[in-house]
Amino acid sequence: MGNEIVIKANGVKKKYDDSLALDGIDLEVISGQILGFIGPNGAGKSTFLQSVLGLINTEGNLEVLGLDPRKDRHKLLKEVCYITDVAVLPKWMTVNQVLQYVNGVHPSFNLEKCLTILSRTNIKRSSKVRVLSRGMMVQLHLSIVMAIDAKLLVLDEPTLGLDLVYRKEFYSQLIEDYYDGDKTILISTHQVEEIEGVLSDAVFMNQGRVVLHDSIESINKKFLELRPNQDFIEKAKSLRPIHQRLELGREVLLFEDTEMDKLSNLGEVRPPFIADLFMAIMDKTKKEIEA
Amino acid sequence: MITTLFTMIRREIQEHKLAFIYAPFIVALVLCLVIISVYLGLTDIQTTTFNFSTELYDEEFQEDMLQATPESKTAVIRSGLTVLGLPILLTVGFGLLAYSLSTFADERKDRSLIFWRSLPVSDLTTVMSKLIFVVIVIPLLVVPNLFLLQLISLLSVSFYFVSNDIVPFGYVWTSYFISDWFRIIFSLWAQALWSLPILLWLMLAGTYFKKPVIGAIVPLVALVVLEGIIFKANNIQEFIENRLGFWSRSDSFPIEYAEARVVDISDIYLLLTTQAFWIGILASVVLIAGIVYTRSTNNDYTVE
Repeated sequence: MGNEIVIKANGVKKKYDDSLALDGIDLEVISGQILGFIGPNGAGKSTFLQSVLGLINTEGNLEVLGLDPRKDRHKLLKEVCYITDVAVLPKWMTVNQVLQYVNGVHPSFNLEKCLTILSRTNIKRSSKVRVLSRGMMVQLHLSIVMAIDAKLLVLDEPTLGLDLVYRKEFYSQLIEDYYDGDKTILISTHQVEEIEGVLSDAVFMNQGRVVLHDSIESINKKFLELRPNQDFIEKAKSLRPIHQRLELGREVLLFEDTEMDKLSNLGEVRPPFIADLFMAIMDKTKKEIEA
Repeated sequence: MITTLFTMIRREIQEHKLAFIYAPFIVALVLCLVIISVYLGLTDIQTTTFNFSTELYDEEFQEDMLQATPESKTAVIRSGLTVLGLPILLTVGFGLLAYSLSTFADERKDRSLIFWRSLPVSDLTTVMSKLIFVVIVIPLLVVPNLFLLQLISLLSVSFYFVSNDIVPFGYVWTSYFISDWFRIIFSLWAQALWSLPILLWLMLAGTYFKKPVIGAIVPLVALVVLEGIIFKANNIQEFIENRLGFWSRSDSFPIEYAEARVVDISDIYLLLTTQAFWIGILASVVLIAGIVYTRSTNNDYTVE
């Protein structure tokens, strides 16, 4: 597949009453990317993901796998899978009935593969969905999604409400058993630290806008975090960090496009955690707006 | 497409087996027990409007039976069996109204709509699958209960006649035809099409309103009142009443039914020639478009 454009968004806007949920999103997603959508509540992450799936109408141009998601939603969903933040599997059904149903309506669903994945869990095929724990429901949903040969997987807060063990299992299963280098995955989650090692790219969103979109590799080159030795704090600050904070009483400075050599003599240098970088970018944006 | 529709209809049957398989079957079983009990002389049902007991078969009645023409025999048997089947039809009718109101509301309420819409099935296909379920499948699920009831009734009455030396065992069977089953199936299909505008209106209310029951009733009541005040007419009220009743008994149907006459297969063709039937179909098409549009655009999952 290699470098095929999976999503192309130009000036995508969505207005709810008086508030702009999406304020002109420009974004290009390439096949094989695992893209994390990071932002506070109300940033527009879920709204954008819903527009990608054709679940809501938006203004502007949006193409997903070459299709208009609103007009060709059911065609698109042959190639796209979706797991949301809530347990949405029909609770009156048995596991077996859910599998039969998906098998009947989804041309790319592999029932045998799904049963193999399910056999590694404690989920019984005769159980009603309503008796499954939240973790098991997500496991069932993931088993279904993993058995669908889709090009794009959209995960909107998929592990919300799950305990740490299930969350870890979810992402390790996703990467080891599902991701093959060609598939594209969009993930929106608040637990950024848990997906950090999984992402190839990150999109920071705030107030309906994309404030940063880059590959993790590029971010790690572009941004550096310095914990300066006590003697070099002032010198480090003179290099104009984009953000500074205190961590356990120690200064932590964030630099953008600053050479590693300049910083490494001043203290401990490493790429920032995505969550810390996000907080820094948000803080910086807020200060720029206030100024 | 066929596999998809088959899968979706199977899902409807699985979800609503209580209303359309178990409930009619239980009602049919109870009716069968009552009928057997009456012919065994264990009980009888006598009200001011309905009398079902062996006392019906007095000497005068027996005389009439022996002199009855084959046509009048068939008419009386059909009529009797139709009356006996009414509790089953009413059970399914109430089930249908509840189903229509809840089928799109429930998927919003438990948010399973998000799951259904995450699969490659268009909203139109979903709505069509529910229509096929309502119009074609539910009548097919109901008729075995009617046939069971008919067979038990005819067997009971035949044994009663033989054991009381009234007429031979085969007396009623010579006027009962298996082809009658098709008449009943077609009649139920016609009924579903006749009532379709009401059922679709309830479905539309389920796709849109936060309180579907109130949402379904209030606009209709408002329209009836407004029509009465502004135009001094009650066409909307009549339309609703007609569609909730049996098509063959509606004001729009050109035949006046005598007491013992039941729907004939030719009446169904006659129904297709009435303007009222096609107005209903036209209203149904508009409502289907409304349901598809609302289901695909309404992202409000708050249902009370």
